[in-house]
Amino acid sequence: MATLTSATPTREMALNPTLLWKRMRRELLSVVLVVVLFIVIIGPMLTVIFWAFAEQWRYPSLVPTKWGLSYWQETLTRADVTAALPLSIGLATIVTFLSAVICLPASYAFARMNFPGRQGFLLSFLATNAFPRFGLYVSIAVVFFRLNLIGTLPGVILIQIVNTLLLMIWIPTAAFQNIDRSLEEAALDVGASRVRVFLQITLPLVLPALSAAILLTFVSTFYEAQGALIIGVPNIQTMPVLMYSIINSQVIVQYGAVISLVLWLPSLLLLTFAQRFVRGNTISAGFGV
Amino acid sequence: MTRPYNRKKIFMATARALTAQPAPPAAAKRRDLSGLFGYVLIAPPVAIMLLLIFYPAIEAVIETIFVSDAQTGQTTLSLQNYIAFFQDPILRANLTFTVLVTLATVFMLFVVGYPLAMYLRFSKSRLAGTVQVLTLFPLFVPGVILAFALIRFLGTHGMFDTLLGIVGISGYRTPYLQPQGIVIALVWEHIPFTVLVLTAGLRQVEDAVIESARDVGASGWQIFTRILLPLTTRSALIVFCLNVIGVFGAFTLPYLLGPAQPMMMGVSMQQAFNNYQDRIGALTQAVLTFLICAAVGVLYVRTITRPRER
Repeated sequence: MATLTSATPTREMALNPTLLWKRMRRELLSVVLVVVLFIVIIGPMLTVIFWAFAEQWRYPSLVPTKWGLSYWQETLTRADVTAALPLSIGLATIVTFLSAVICLPASYAFARMNFPGRQGFLLSFLATNAFPRFGLYVSIAVVFFRLNLIGTLPGVILIQIVNTLLLMIWIPTAAFQNIDRSLEEAALDVGASRVRVFLQITLPLVLPALSAAILLTFVSTFYEAQGALIIGVPNIQTMPVLMYSIINSQVIVQYGAVISLVLWLPSLLLLTFAQRFVRGNTISAGFGV
Repeated sequence: MTRPYNRKKIFMATARALTAQPAPPAAAKRRDLSGLFGYVLIAPPVAIMLLLIFYPAIEAVIETIFVSDAQTGQTTLSLQNYIAFFQDPILRANLTFTVLVTLATVFMLFVVGYPLAMYLRFSKSRLAGTVQVLTLFPLFVPGVILAFALIRFLGTHGMFDTLLGIVGISGYRTPYLQPQGIVIALVWEHIPFTVLVLTAGLRQVEDAVIESARDVGASGWQIFTRILLPLTTRSALIVFCLNVIGVFGAFTLPYLLGPAQPMMMGVSMQQAFNNYQDRIGALTQAVLTFLICAAVGVLYVRTITRPRER
């Protein structure tokens, strides 16, 4: 296939010099774009990866002057890291679970039930986008201060749930709406009960979208830093909150690099699954496009 | 009320007619219950939204406009907190700085994002897929990691400095701890969203429309200003609103990459709340950011609730 598609334009180009110039110009634009984007987008992350595996990196060298793994053990056995990592994973798990329990039945109702004000309530979740995030967190923090929730786990869980609502409602709602109802009706026709139809027809059909929503919620909660910082201080220190102090205190560069790389893993895994969500415009749906 | 086909109902009605059974009375009731049940199902997330988003926001407004007198203990309606804010030169500088950074960032996002979206919509190059992956990549880099990465990449003697040295450019001055640092980082962070939404908007413009314009002799510029821009207004408005609100309410990147003075509002609020225990001061700043973003917020809500023309 590859030889076929590349052979045709070459012959055309040989015949037509203006077309050749046009094609070259078009590909030139793409090549320049890819190179520039690679430097500015991948460059920063490449720097982190290099630093994580560097024993020594002196200035005029583009790559570390001495490679090595010696900082990994040193970093990963730091007391603050060993405390923060399980906390972050546990917190993200709890928040995702609670968010799913709270939002998934609601998303079914939004998609499939008919009641006055349905569209308005659904849009009101989208309207929460209209609040400047950090201003909102400060207002929540003041309310939590009065309720003695500052520096507590329930406080951090609650503020992180706020962040998950939009995603956990809109993606599943769209999925439930997109099901071909005739499949369910066919099952009802042959005498299946409603519960059975839901478990054996509806659920399998929406499962990919539900897993996407759950996965995205887990990852975004795992990385949620601002709410956890303002509510969790000083007792709850998650991995992203730890990063604030690592960056500000300017300790050994490799510490920050190794933690960043470990912290980045879930996102990298998500990146491999990402093609699917992006194709289906799932992400842009969450903004009302 | 009648659906084009509802085989189950037809089937049941036929079966009842054939066996002469009375229709079950529950059928009519179930419809009403289903409506009620809907409210039960949506109650938990709606309650959380009301209690943790709308209530704190309203409470913030109320707490900052009712000032209690320390001596008499009487509460009066007053703009004292806001006057204090505007009388403080540091806080005033922070607000101006936030507005300027927001304008610069949103402007840069359009300058970078619109051409990228155009490229992704119209390019037939085999490299277009790679460009798309690269533009979406920042979605998968969380803020704190991005801050660390940019410090190491853009810092003095960082990788960017080294690359410039290789091509013979010297005298690089790092944007780290400068206002430009914040703008660069926020543009980096918001590029995927901007390009995603603008590309989605451009995809709704059909090829036939552009071809017919070209047939009647429209130049590339005319196609851009007369067809593409007007037809992507909705996407552009969503991008504009959410970027303004997102940048205005940013915290992590300005906090880690920006100068110590002036600060963006997010950083300023956090300092007031966590470091100075000045809750009313922090709330006053929060309400001011709400008010400034409110106009943009209204525009956003109107854009998403308006049915799309088609």
